[in-house]
Amino acid sequence: MNNMETEAPAARFPAWLRIALVGRNPKRTLLRAAVLAVLCFCFFKFFVFKFIVLPVRVEGNSMFPTYHDRGINFVNRLAYRHTDPQRGDVVGIRMAGPSVMLMKRIVGLPGETIAFEDGRLLINGQAIDEPYLHHHSPAPYLDPVTLGPNEYYVIGDNRMNSDRGRIDRDRIIGKIVL
Amino acid sequence: MKRIAQILVLAAIVVAACWFWTVLFPTPEAVVRNRLHSLAKNLSFNSQSGMISQALAAQKAADYFTPDVDVDVNVAGYDPLTLHGRDEVQQIAMAARSRLSSLKIEFLDMNVTIDPGGQTAKVNLTGKATIPGQRDISAQEFNFLLKKVDGKWQVYKVETVKTLSEEKVPGARRQLSGKNTMVVTT
Repeated sequence: MNNMETEAPAARFPAWLRIALVGRNPKRTLLRAAVLAVLCFCFFKFFVFKFIVLPVRVEGNSMFPTYHDRGINFVNRLAYRHTDPQRGDVVGIRMAGPSVMLMKRIVGLPGETIAFEDGRLLINGQAIDEPYLHHHSPAPYLDPVTLGPNEYYVIGDNRMNSDRGRIDRDRIIGKIVL
Repeated sequence: MKRIAQILVLAAIVVAACWFWTVLFPTPEAVVRNRLHSLAKNLSFNSQSGMISQALAAQKAADYFTPDVDVDVNVAGYDPLTLHGRDEVQQIAMAARSRLSSLKIEFLDMNVTIDPGGQTAKVNLTGKATIPGQRDISAQEFNFLLKKVDGKWQVYKVETVKTLSEEKVPGARRQLSGKNTMVVTT
């Protein structure tokens, strides 16, 4: 009776399916799967999520409504390996390291003269369209500032409530993915 | 199979020996890091601590600073804080304990530079403060300057580093504040 009970579930599957699912030796298959799972975990934890894409949680509202408080996102660390950051890119900016970053949009590129007048972005004296802004705000105001050869000007999309300023290229960790 | 097991055991012994060596003989950078982690722990507190233990912890935290320490903290959204001397640090640590029920301080991403003589160190780090139970966090970049006093590393200067070099505009129509901080989740 006991034999029948134990054999009954196995008998429901054809032999080839059983082999495909759990192998000829289920114990060894389980061990192999466990090792593979650990290797995958280590690969993602210590390589992919460290050197390729950083998973991040957004705190604060300076990029609202483009990015919401408590949202989850990723920073692509390889985005600027062969190209330079562009105007309009949303980037992660490191503090002392990548554990805590600022999330801002690049509006000024190296060598440009940037100004804000009644909330409008002026690059080298010319008004620039900013399609990523959802609504116009009168802030900020900034007298013309010329950026250095390695400097970018960044600001949040929520212009009424965002820090802004110049940053060096080496502070940019990567580009926001989503 | 036996050979592989022997190799694995040998590798484990080598790794354990290396780890043990670093514990017994830490580099000056590691000593400074541990010292600052310990300081962060002493600056943190929770509501379960009693008054006496809180006072002792504040006293202990102050011992990480030199008697003539200069502290200049300017975190967005908070009043600037300038302190001179260990006593003022202790007072502020006590005041924070009386105003907040709990506070967690962390020092992240420490970049330690030891001078060639090995007597002073500069640490660039991100300070993160969270109040357990509340969502908001504060994060700010700092430089901690330390020197060896009687064989112990003590902080003699704390200065705020502006991550964004904000333009100071005379007659600016609005003082901007607030920041979007991203915290790496792994």
